[in-house]
Amino acid sequence: MIMARAMTRHRQPEPLAVLPEYPGGPLSGLATTRGKHPHAPVITDIPASPAPPRPAERVAAVEDLHVTFRRNGRDVQALRGVSLEIAQGEILGLVGESGSGKSVLGLTLLGLHPARTTTIDGKLEVCNQSLVAATPEDWRRLRKTHMGAVFQDPMTSLNPTTRLGRQVSEVAGSSAEAIRLLNAVGIPDAERRLSSYPHELSGGLRQRVMLAMAIAGPPRLIIADEPTTALDVTVQAQILQLLRRLRDDLGMAMLFITHDLGVASQVADRIAVLYGGRLMEIGPAGEILEGPAHPYTDGLLRSRLTLTTGRDRPIASLAGEPPDPTQPPSGCPFSLRCAFVWDRCRDEMPAPTVKPQDTTGSHMVACWRTDDLASSGQELAGKWPAAPSAPGLAVLANNVTKAFTVRKGFRTQKLHALRGVSLEIAPGEVVALVGESGSGKSTLLRAMAGLLTIDSGSIEFGMPGHAQMVFQDAGASLTPWLSVSTLLKERLTRADLSSNERADRVRASLATVGLPAEVASAKPRELSGGQRQRVALARAIAMPPPMLLCDEPTSALDVSLAASILNLIGRLRRELSMAVLFVTHDLAVARMVADRVAVMYLGRIVEIGPVDDVVGNPRHPYTRALLASVPDPGAKLTTARGEPASPLDPPDGCAFEPRCERSGDDCCLCDPTLDLVRPSHTGPARLARKVACLHPIAGVPRIPGGLPTDRHEGDD
Amino acid sequence: MAMAEPFVTRQQSQFRGPSAKHHLPVSLQTRLREGNRPAWYAGSLLAVLTGLAVFGPALAPHSPLVPAGAAFTPPGHAGFLLGSDSIGRDELSRVLYGIQTSWFSALAVIASGVLLGGLIGLVAGATGGWVDEVLMRFTDAFLALPGPVLAIAVVAALGPSLFHTLIAVGIVWWPFYARIVRGEVRSLAARPHLEAARLSGASRWSIMTRHLLPGALPAIVVTASLDVGNLILALAGLSFLGLGAPAPAPELGAMAARNLSYLLQSWWVPIMPALAIFLLAFASNIAGDFLRDSLRNT
Repeated sequence: MIMARAMTRHRQPEPLAVLPEYPGGPLSGLATTRGKHPHAPVITDIPASPAPPRPAERVAAVEDLHVTFRRNGRDVQALRGVSLEIAQGEILGLVGESGSGKSVLGLTLLGLHPARTTTIDGKLEVCNQSLVAATPEDWRRLRKTHMGAVFQDPMTSLNPTTRLGRQVSEVAGSSAEAIRLLNAVGIPDAERRLSSYPHELSGGLRQRVMLAMAIAGPPRLIIADEPTTALDVTVQAQILQLLRRLRDDLGMAMLFITHDLGVASQVADRIAVLYGGRLMEIGPAGEILEGPAHPYTDGLLRSRLTLTTGRDRPIASLAGEPPDPTQPPSGCPFSLRCAFVWDRCRDEMPAPTVKPQDTTGSHMVACWRTDDLASSGQELAGKWPAAPSAPGLAVLANNVTKAFTVRKGFRTQKLHALRGVSLEIAPGEVVALVGESGSGKSTLLRAMAGLLTIDSGSIEFGMPGHAQMVFQDAGASLTPWLSVSTLLKERLTRADLSSNERADRVRASLATVGLPAEVASAKPRELSGGQRQRVALARAIAMPPPMLLCDEPTSALDVSLAASILNLIGRLRRELSMAVLFVTHDLAVARMVADRVAVMYLGRIVEIGPVDDVVGNPRHPYTRALLASVPDPGAKLTTARGEPASPLDPPDGCAFEPRCERSGDDCCLCDPTLDLVRPSHTGPARLARKVACLHPIAGVPRIPGGLPTDRHEGDD
Repeated sequence: MAMAEPFVTRQQSQFRGPSAKHHLPVSLQTRLREGNRPAWYAGSLLAVLTGLAVFGPALAPHSPLVPAGAAFTPPGHAGFLLGSDSIGRDELSRVLYGIQTSWFSALAVIASGVLLGGLIGLVAGATGGWVDEVLMRFTDAFLALPGPVLAIAVVAALGPSLFHTLIAVGIVWWPFYARIVRGEVRSLAARPHLEAARLSGASRWSIMTRHLLPGALPAIVVTASLDVGNLILALAGLSFLGLGAPAPAPELGAMAARNLSYLLQSWWVPIMPALAIFLLAFASNIAGDFLRDSLRNT
């Protein structure tokens, strides 16, 4: 809604008078050939209500598609018999963990696999053209006229040395058309942007440029491969809304590839779930999310965190890891991890059939035991024990500031990463730091780790020992040429231990994080992503530290793996009484792991308090905007407009004022301090609810479902 | 150890359950069974070259210095497998002796370059700040020295011998290694695994030797293997100026260079030593590639 307002404002200079030239109306408005028409058509504003998918012809279809790569002398069977169709004007969400083959399907539909090492079998049809035996020239022509693509990292898809104007005009055919396209995807001040280089734009704007290039033409089919994964939640919500709106305006079909069922639920009309190169389940989005018929979909949904997941017990995570694509199982690929597994599942591969209860015939599932899934209840894990607490403080940060010097041409500028942050954490307490990228949350974490020196203020630790850190990219944080045991033993060099005791300690800490002892002799490269993060945790706890610093340790992992790592952190902090500072951009994750949450914006904490209190009853407009951007299935996305202000030049007043819907005249004049929400708060001072806002939100109803509070009741 | 014990039995099964199924990827098992093939290839190739250099003189049928027959005998005639040179010395024997001289000279210069340059580059890259600044300007000063002129100066001061020439070449050779190692180390030092190592309490020495140096090895190995050919030719140039091994001594570069004038009438006299240089450079390049692959794989 805010988004829509922002869009209209940006697009006002657009000459709407051109419309009558296109009597076909807005839906056929862009139906010209790409790049040929000098007076390119206009994309008009369409009411935000989703257009029902037209029962139209299919745009793309694959049948019994097999894709095999030759890699290092082995056959990687990426897709093993997938059949699905994409209808005109439909968004098909393709969901799966990494290695499920979802990106391979996207690239196959684009014809972008290297022909020399790829074998494609089966039926493959795009825009009524059979393509299994197509030449590169056929593919090129098809891509040019009928297809568009958006990938995860727009920086690698855009040419860094060429101005955007030239890049977009090349696809659009003329610079006038380029401006129109950039306006259509909501890029403010599009004409001026034509002379920018890609690196001068934020991630969200770059992805919009990619979209502008993808919709030039317009195409009949867009392949979007994780287009929002690298973006902040608020920007992600904007892009998701934009995708739906473009589809409604232009009527093209879209294959939306994502690892996140929540994201898929926000855009897709239908959802297809892929696992081990096989289609597990496909059907209308609502039905899949409400009544998953496959144990894998069910597991994915349960290990996905939402703002209402019960936080008093471990998350129901899917055990195990996906099968090796070079040696796929002969039966159901999920049989290795499935709780419902039968002998038949291991021997025979089930084909997708219509779900028994489904009358429309649109909901298909490939499972021998789907009936039993429907009748089974959810088995809950035991509750967490109460977290231990101890007197004193683990860490006390007082008014910490940090500015980095950045060079821009001949000028140097100060980038104000931390602008006065105070935070105290008790022993055994978990505090989550939440915010968009650039909010300074990682800088604070690294300052606490001692990895950078602060400009002013102080950070004091209340307990002996050095804080340990777990990084986002566990693979990069492990020295690639050293074995796991060498890395773990390094933590023990300061301890007075014999070499036998050290080996025992290594084995014990690997066991604690749930890894077999053989891992000790492995190199990081030989481990999977989840195993690497476990090794990083094992290294941190080989000598139990007083405090663990976590820098988005799960954001690079698949949902099911992320859930198991979060459970592990939850268990470790209780067993070892560690204080934890957990940086994340995801409030749902913060809610699961933390006792308290601190929301950061542009180098300051803008709201802090017990996590249930903050999530259930946000007082700062920014917290509310973050919460509204979480793509939960069933939740309606509303988005904060715009993107964070630049830390190079922080505004004088409240930093959130330019994006804030509640801002008053005083907001741009007076910088609010972090004040108690209710001065009558009793209990330890650090648990108080504080907010830095001149016009805080009051009286927002709590999220229904009654969030459990385990340790401290909030001040409500 | 207390922390390894379960604190809630119910949850133990949940946590340990999945981990029991954590298998190492198959690729690891097969790789171990197959052994590290590139390393094996590289090792055996280098062993063959060194063996040839060590035992070459023992295999030589004639003396490399004394004429053994008619001059300019073509290969395969009168017992000269590779022919004879302008005064009737056996080409084969001279090449075998020459391989020894050239190979060990090249190895010595490269080894000293890697050691000295590597150490300076490692310290500069790992420490940064003014240490880096001072060490690298020192390196730049050496880069500015003209090689042949320095060699002439050294030989003039110490007297003509191959060893003195090697010292001169070594002095101008190490700065390249210092720059390469420093660059590699600087880029490695910006990676998270360095921060992680520092946080886990690794000492400065262990950070340099364990977490930085192995990462720079592939670049060092590739540069060194490419340098073998360059060095043999550089030494040949110096011997041509009379700065290398004194005249009758067999040295591949000098043999090829001095006999170039016989190329049209008796091609084997300059070609045979040139071929030997080519084989040495080629083999060391291949070995370097294999070695780099095996280092990358670890």
